[in-house]
Amino acid sequence: MSAEALLNVTGLTAGYGPVEVLHGLDFTVAEGEIVVILGANGAGKTTTMRSVSGMIPRHGTVDFAGTHISGSKPDAILRAGISQVPQGRGTFTDLSVEDNLMAGAYSVKSGVEEDLDRWYGVFPRLAERRDQKAGSLSGGEQQMLAVARAMMSRPKLLLCDEPSLGLAPLITKELFRVLGSLREEHGMSLLIVEQNAGMALALADRAYVLETGSIVATGTGDELLADDTIKEAYLGVVS
Amino acid sequence: MSLFLERFVNGLADGSIYALLALALVVVFRSTGQLNFAQGEIGTMGAFFVSTLTLSGLPVWLSIGCAMVLGFFVSAGVERIVVRPIEHRNPGAVIVALIGVFLAVNQIVAMIWGVDARSLPSVFPDDADDFVTIGGAPIRIARLGIIGVLIVVLFLLWLMFNKTKVGLAMRAVANNQESSNLVGIRVGSILVVGWGLAGAIGVLAAAMLAPSAGLTGTLMLGPFLLASVAAVLGGLDSPVGAVVGGLIIGLTEAFIVGYVDFLGADMLFPVMLVILLLVLLLRPAGLFGTERVERV
Amino acid sequence: MNLPLRVAKGSWQNWLGRAVLFGAVGLFMFRAVNEWSRSGLGLLADALIIAIAVTGLNLITGYTGQLSLGHAAFFAIGAFTSAMLVTGKVWTPFLTDNIWTPGWTMVAAAVVCFLIGMVVGIPALRLKGIYLALVTLVFTEAVRSVLKYEEFAGVTGGAPGIKGFNYLPPSWTGLDGRADLVTWFFWLSLAILVVVSVLSAGLLRSRIGRAMVAVRDNETAAAVMGVNLFSIKTIVFGLSGAIAGVAGSLYALKLSLVEADIPLFGLFGSVTLLVAMVVGGAAQNWGPFVGAMFYVFVNDFARSVGEDPSNSIFLGWVVDEGTKINGLGGVTFGVLLILFARFVPFGAVGTMRMWRSRVVAVVPQVSARAGGEPSAELLGEEGAMSAEQAATNIDPAEPPTSLTGDDPDPAS
Repeated sequence: MSAEALLNVTGLTAGYGPVEVLHGLDFTVAEGEIVVILGANGAGKTTTMRSVSGMIPRHGTVDFAGTHISGSKPDAILRAGISQVPQGRGTFTDLSVEDNLMAGAYSVKSGVEEDLDRWYGVFPRLAERRDQKAGSLSGGEQQMLAVARAMMSRPKLLLCDEPSLGLAPLITKELFRVLGSLREEHGMSLLIVEQNAGMALALADRAYVLETGSIVATGTGDELLADDTIKEAYLGVVS
Repeated sequence: MSLFLERFVNGLADGSIYALLALALVVVFRSTGQLNFAQGEIGTMGAFFVSTLTLSGLPVWLSIGCAMVLGFFVSAGVERIVVRPIEHRNPGAVIVALIGVFLAVNQIVAMIWGVDARSLPSVFPDDADDFVTIGGAPIRIARLGIIGVLIVVLFLLWLMFNKTKVGLAMRAVANNQESSNLVGIRVGSILVVGWGLAGAIGVLAAAMLAPSAGLTGTLMLGPFLLASVAAVLGGLDSPVGAVVGGLIIGLTEAFIVGYVDFLGADMLFPVMLVILLLVLLLRPAGLFGTERVERV
Repeated sequence: MNLPLRVAKGSWQNWLGRAVLFGAVGLFMFRAVNEWSRSGLGLLADALIIAIAVTGLNLITGYTGQLSLGHAAFFAIGAFTSAMLVTGKVWTPFLTDNIWTPGWTMVAAAVVCFLIGMVVGIPALRLKGIYLALVTLVFTEAVRSVLKYEEFAGVTGGAPGIKGFNYLPPSWTGLDGRADLVTWFFWLSLAILVVVSVLSAGLLRSRIGRAMVAVRDNETAAAVMGVNLFSIKTIVFGLSGAIAGVAGSLYALKLSLVEADIPLFGLFGSVTLLVAMVVGGAAQNWGPFVGAMFYVFVNDFARSVGEDPSNSIFLGWVVDEGTKINGLGGVTFGVLLILFARFVPFGAVGTMRMWRSRVVAVVPQVSARAGGEPSAELLGEEGAMSAEQAATNIDPAEPPTSLTGDDPDPAS
């Protein structure tokens, strides 16, 4: 692993109350990389996301761009440059699309108008619906909104928690294309947790496989796509 | 006709006070799901503070302003010191704590200001000849003033909620606390501001009521109950509902007392019960409230 | 010695523990009757009466999760029913003079309040949480308005109410008329509290009890599993109202008068009952008793602090002899309530039980019965287990996490 990884996590342990969900995870994300953490239900994917973004207490070391953020609160982590697209979208359903984006820019001091224009350009459908209540958007549109909102805080690293959840395959394809373009055209680094192995692994540079709180496999996206056990367990391919 | 108009304006004026108090309750409920039992008493305390300030020479409008600031901080303090630590452990126990605050504030007022009734000057011209004639009815300027205050407050609140960053944050927190965290909003601070705002509005309502109702320790007991009913009627998470509910209650009160002879003022609550049941059985979350969809 | 000690439910150790608890309380009661002053005993009787009412409230709010601020209305209706019947204001053809014996008025109060309670249960089918609470609160004040209404004065006594009746101790008790009135009410209230508590505990162990808790924890799931929401909500509201009505009846007979403006008959009363329930411990068998005792006696203590601050341990060294501070009693009680909610958030009984289970844990005996139907032993001694507890066998000694059973959902 690169010594100058953007995100460097070692020994991540977290849980809820007396129940330990993550048992010492190690993973990294380099600058400009797309890393996927694959896992089935209950593996601990969302817990991992919440640990990195500071929503739940955790043990272990989390280093980001050279700084220790292991004990930081969510708003400090946001200001450091990590933004999360939560599971299930997490859009402000009662607020308009534009208000959602403005909320995303809460921590930004200036230049918000330009950012708004930029992201409306990337997501023209959001521009069309800018005054509509977020709750009235379709699932795919809400997912785009959640991504755009996360981008409004000008992060260096984007965390995506099961972005394909509840979306039709065509929409998911478009979504992953957008995520890919975030890296190509906007220099973002991405950490995505997913159940949808096929599309995620195709997009990923590297990936880890998470099972009941521990990492059981790692490799490049192509390597894991070709791996038989992965194919059976996550892609439903019988060999 | 003129009597009708007079009653109508009176109903709107009282309704405006209930609407203000109901607004305060809704602001708090939207963000925390709690009903601030002590809202009325903080208002009473503020009204007594206004009295002290005016007696020492300060103009009424300035005294009200200062008292509103006091109300802001007391209410904010209640959220931070009493509600938050308890909510963390058992949300059901918050009600008991708020009842304790209710009692403590009510009695602190008695401690500091005694138990005798006082009079509070109105910020509007309120002498015997301060009225305008509309449609043959003498309408007191002070009453119109109260309705005006409600309109101004509504406008200011609308401005705040829709055009400022704090307002956006408050709407976000009321909708989804976790996502608010994720975009960098300090949820705790926003909650404190919301409660503080409610406290200030409550004091304003009390200061509007006291000149005509007389300033005593029980000033806000009845109005708090009626404002709660108004908030529920309109929908506990709807500011529009709070205002509509408050005006409905105010008008009901005015017309029941005046027009329906065999009922009279004493039967206000049975009448309200009927209205409440009719509205809620059709719309269980209030006229403008959002129904909660339950996932099993 | 390995803590916590495990004691099987139903074992002789379990029974011994219970005997000790009941013995201690019983001893306390005997001492009170023999040594306390008239006024002290009267206060204790009041606490017992309130405990009865809170037992009723606990059934519908603590166990079934329907927040009711209307129980003062049942209390008032029970009180007025007794007063009206005992003074012959209601036409009852089979009695001379229409005058009832006080004992039977308590039964009448229970029946009347049961029927009214069932009706009150109907809105509970549509309304939730604070919405229901507020409707019941308005109901309380509406009932009070009706009881005060001048047009009905012939029956209810109007604003001044009804006076001049008595419930003298019957001769078989060996008590002497007026002199032992307070003692008589003490024993009567204690007896009724015990009966009501036993019946209530029995109800909670039954299928109805399980259904109640299921409704509290997740109404939709309960309905889907076959619980008849209409029956449960109306019947339990009725029962809980009836119990509060009996308490009200006792209160009226003890006070020898009823008047609509009595604080316990309105908003103040409903709030008092709710506070007592939460402070004692919602959904706990001993909760109502402990909560009522706390409320009445701490209130009295606060009042005495207010009346004579120089004598109290807190302020004695600051305040001079003879000074009286307005409102001090109320502030004291209010602050105590806040402190209580902060440090004992699950109520006295709930918290004591948490401590106790660190030392002695009562564990269900899994019976060797084939067939899979959970046996009665699987239900915690403290009453009905929630659906989740029955499934995962969590120690039922853990107090419920919220008043209304809303799920805070920590994990996703």
